[in-house]
Amino acid sequence: MHEVSIADSLLDTSVRECRDKGFTKIGSIKVCIGKASGVMPEALLFAFDAMKAGTLAEGASLIIEEVPVSGHCNTCNTAFTVSEKYVLCCPHCSSESFTVDSGRELNIVELEVD
Amino acid sequence: MKLKVASKILDANERIAQDNRKAFEGAGLYVVNLMSSPGAGKTSLLENTIKGLAGKSRVGVIEGDITGTDDAVRIERLEVPVVQINTGGACHLDANMINSVLNDLPLAELNLLFIENVGNLVCPAEFKVGEDIKVMILSITEGHDKPLKYPLMFQESSALIINKIDLKPFLDIDMEKIRKDALSLNPSIKIFEVSCKTGEGVDAWIEWLVQTSNS
Repeated sequence: MHEVSIADSLLDTSVRECRDKGFTKIGSIKVCIGKASGVMPEALLFAFDAMKAGTLAEGASLIIEEVPVSGHCNTCNTAFTVSEKYVLCCPHCSSESFTVDSGRELNIVELEVD
Repeated sequence: MKLKVASKILDANERIAQDNRKAFEGAGLYVVNLMSSPGAGKTSLLENTIKGLAGKSRVGVIEGDITGTDDAVRIERLEVPVVQINTGGACHLDANMINSVLNDLPLAELNLLFIENVGNLVCPAEFKVGEDIKVMILSITEGHDKPLKYPLMFQESSALIINKIDLKPFLDIDMEKIRKDALSLNPSIKIFEVSCKTGEGVDAWIEWLVQTSNS
């Protein structure tokens, strides 16, 4: 249920950004959520819809772009993307020495404002 | 119109966590965020750790629970400063909750502060509260499949305490699998096997904690 806290923070940041730039209404909010971030998109949507009432984002839709877990191997230098939420070894050479490059994102990337 | 933004969703929390950190650093405090599922032994580990540190370190505790003061009462018996946060339903502590109790503890008189998070193997790993390190407990009654089922907490923690090892004879538990999977998720995680009931292994954890907090 930590999606409620995340939706709260997301609304807070978006509303502040909208107001700071001199706009009064948010039409949509686009976010990038890493698959390894521990956030369930469905739960975040549910929390967002429940909490947006009475804010500048009252009529806003939340667009969630999921970011897969990707990385590169320090042994065979191959870049990889996996469907799981974690990487235990390089999918190409099974080396356990690798660097994770994406999958933990929790970012706001774009607001549609009026 | 479209407005490009580049901010982290949890910016608000992280800003407050930074404020907390400044307050802790200003007081010369080392802060441990202690996390685990409910009943893994967070309060028992704290009791053992506080007893082991008696005379060596001045310890304070922030207790996080959805409701109730049972844990704070247990810690208070050891005569260390403790403050209880009741989240009223929230499944984790966040930076703002910690910020709101900073004045309730004599920070300048302490060396080490433990923040006992709400029992939950998922959400607490997501929220920084201003700690130096995160430490987690996995009790062996929870099963050896937990690192791969709850990877985030294992990835975020500097140390993994495997508790209740006195129950090994009664369980089909693969200790090697816990170690292997935890280390695969987080190669630098430090692993300790302890029994808070018998006290076995607690000294090694305390020694590491003292070393880490002094370095």
